[in-house]
Amino acid sequence: MDIILQTNKLTKTFAGKGRQKKKVEAVKGVDLQVHKGEIFGFLGPNGAGKTTTLNMLTTLLAPTSGEATVVGHDLLKNPQKVREHIGYVSQAGGADTSATAKENLVLQSRLYGIPSAEAFKKAEMLIDRFQMKEFGDRKARTYSGGQRRRLDLALGIVHKPVLVFLDEPTTGLDPQSRAYFWEEIKRLKNDGMTVFLTTHYLEEADNLCDRVAIIDHGEIVAVDTTQQLKKQIGAESITVGFSNDAATEKAKAALSGQKFIEKLFPQENKLHLYVQDGGSLMPEVLRILDKENIQVQTIGLSKPSLDDVFLQKTGRSLREAGV
Amino acid sequence: MKFLKDLWYLFVRHMMKTLRMPLWLFIGLMQPVLYLLLYMPLLKNMSGGAGIPADEIAKMFVPGMLVVMAMGQLFAGFSFIDEIRVGIIARWLVSPASRLSIILSLVGSQKITLFLQASLLVFIAFLFGLHVPVLGLVLTMVMVLLVGVAMASLSYAISLATKDESALASITNTFYLPIMLLSGIMLPISVAPQWIKTAALFNPFYYAVEGARCLFDGDYGNTMVLKGFGVVIALCVLMIWLALRALKKMAA
Ligand SMILES: Nc1ncnc2c1ncn2[C@@H]1O[C@H](COP(=O)(O)OP(=O)(O)O)[C@@H](O)[C@H]1O
Ligand SMILES: [Mg+2]
Repeated sequence: MDIILQTNKLTKTFAGKGRQKKKVEAVKGVDLQVHKGEIFGFLGPNGAGKTTTLNMLTTLLAPTSGEATVVGHDLLKNPQKVREHIGYVSQAGGADTSATAKENLVLQSRLYGIPSAEAFKKAEMLIDRFQMKEFGDRKARTYSGGQRRRLDLALGIVHKPVLVFLDEPTTGLDPQSRAYFWEEIKRLKNDGMTVFLTTHYLEEADNLCDRVAIIDHGEIVAVDTTQQLKKQIGAESITVGFSNDAATEKAKAALSGQKFIEKLFPQENKLHLYVQDGGSLMPEVLRILDKENIQVQTIGLSKPSLDDVFLQKTGRSLREAGV
Repeated sequence: MKFLKDLWYLFVRHMMKTLRMPLWLFIGLMQPVLYLLLYMPLLKNMSGGAGIPADEIAKMFVPGMLVVMAMGQLFAGFSFIDEIRVGIIARWLVSPASRLSIILSLVGSQKITLFLQASLLVFIAFLFGLHVPVLGLVLTMVMVLLVGVAMASLSYAISLATKDESALASITNTFYLPIMLLSGIMLPISVAPQWIKTAALFNPFYYAVEGARCLFDGDYGNTMVLKGFGVVIALCVLMIWLALRALKKMAA
C-alpha cells in the first residue's frame, strides 16, 4: 500500500491568550498514515483538533513539534512542493463572494500556474461537473449554502491535486445536499484522488470513508476501517437504562461476570453490553436483572456504530458530545 | 515569472472588486472634495487680514492634506479582515502563489484609489488658485503614494496579526491623531513650541510633509526633499516586511 501522507508526533500547542495565559494543547503527538487512493476520515467532536491538524498539513500553520511527509515532500522543509500537489477546502470555504464562480475558478487556476486558455476551459468544465451553470455567472455572494459549497469544492481541485483535504465538507447542509456531496467525494476517489476529510457526523464517516481515525482532545484514539472498528466492539449492542446510579452500579456488578457479554460499558445511567446475538440474549439480561430486583427503565438493541467505538474509547457519546 | 503573474492576476481581482462597489469609490473620492471645499474657505478668511495670497495658502496646505489622505490608507485593512474571515486569504496561502505578490497586489490596488483621490484634490486646489511646478507635483505624488504604501502595508500587518476590526480601529485611532498633529499637516510645525518641534523630528510624516512642501515650492535641492524620500522609502520597506511576516504567520 502506498503511503501518501505520514505524520510523526505532530503537535500544536497554542500560546494562551488573556490574563491566565492558559496554553491550549490542540493536537498532541498525532501519528497518521493515509493510503494512496482512499477516503480517509478524521472523526471527532468540535474542538478535537481536526482543523488544527489540517491547517498544519496544508502548510498554513507551523507545528509546535513533530514532522510530516505529504505527497512525498517534507512538510517543514519543502512546503512549496507540498502546496503544488495538495488541495484544501477549508471549513470557511474561501470563495471570493465579490466575484462569480467562473472568475473564482479562473484566478485559482492561474495561482497554480495554469495558462489562461486552459484556465478558462477548466472553469467551464468544473461549472459543468458541479452543476453550477445556473448560477455560475452570478456573484458568489448570492449563492445558497449548497451552491457555495459546490464552488468551494471545485476551487479545491482545479489543479487536480493528488491529495485533497476537506474540512467538514457537509456541515450545515441539508440532507439532500449532503447526499450530493457524498457522491461527488466518491467521484474524486474514482478520479484517482486521495481524500482526507474531517467530520463530526457518524453517518458521514460510516458511509463515505474507507478508513477512519477517531480524534478526541487532540489525540488519536483509534484508526482502522469502519468495519474493523465496529467489529472490535462486538456483533451487537444491548443498551439498558436505569433510573439512578445505584441501580446502574448494581446491574453492572450483576452482569460483569456473565460470559456471553464481550464488553460492558457504563455511561451515566446506562449500560452498554456488547454481545454476539443480541436478540436471544436480551431476555437473559432481563432475567438476571430481575433476579437481583433491579428496575429496568429502558432496553434497546442495535448494531454497533462508530458512536459505540467513540464511546468505548472516550467514555462519551459523539452524538451527545453534540455540536 | 510566477511572482509577476501572481501579482498581476491578484491586482486585477482587487481592482474588479473595487470597481464593483462604486459607492465606496464614490465616498473615497468625496473625501478630498470635502477637505478642500470645507477647509480652504476657512483658511482664506483667516488669512484675509494678513493678506496672504490664496496661492500661498494652497501651497502650504495641499501637501499636508495629500499626506493625510495617504495616511488614510491605514483603513485599508477593514475590508481585508473580512476576506481573512471568509477564508479567501487562507485559500491563496495554500496555493503556491507568491506571498509577496499577495501583499503587493493588495497594497498596489489601494494605490490606484489613492492616486485618484490625490489627483482630484490637486485638481480642485487648482480651481482655488494653486500654482505648482509640474516636476514638483509629480514628485509629490510619488511621495504621497509611498506614504500610502507604508500605511496600507501597516494596516494589512495589523489586520493579519489581530484578525479583528475593533483592534484595528483602536490601534489606528490611537496613533492617527498624534502623528497627524506632530507632522505639521494642519498647521506648520514652525509655529509650535520647542517640545513639539523636537517630538516632530521623530515623526516620519513630518519629513514627508516638509519634503512635499519644498517640492511644491520648486525647491528641489532642499535637504528636506531627500530626507523625506529617504524616510518614507525606509518606512515602506519596513511595513511591507511586517505585512509579509504577518501573512506568513497567519493561521487560518
Ligand atoms: N488560534 C488558536 N488559539 C488558541 N486556541 C486555538 C486556536 N485555534 C484552535 N484552538 C483550540 O484548539 C482546539 C482544537 O480546535 P480545532 O482544531 O478547531 O478543533 P475541531 O476542528 O476539531 O473542531 C480547540 O480547543 C480550540 O479552541
Ligand atoms: Mg474544525
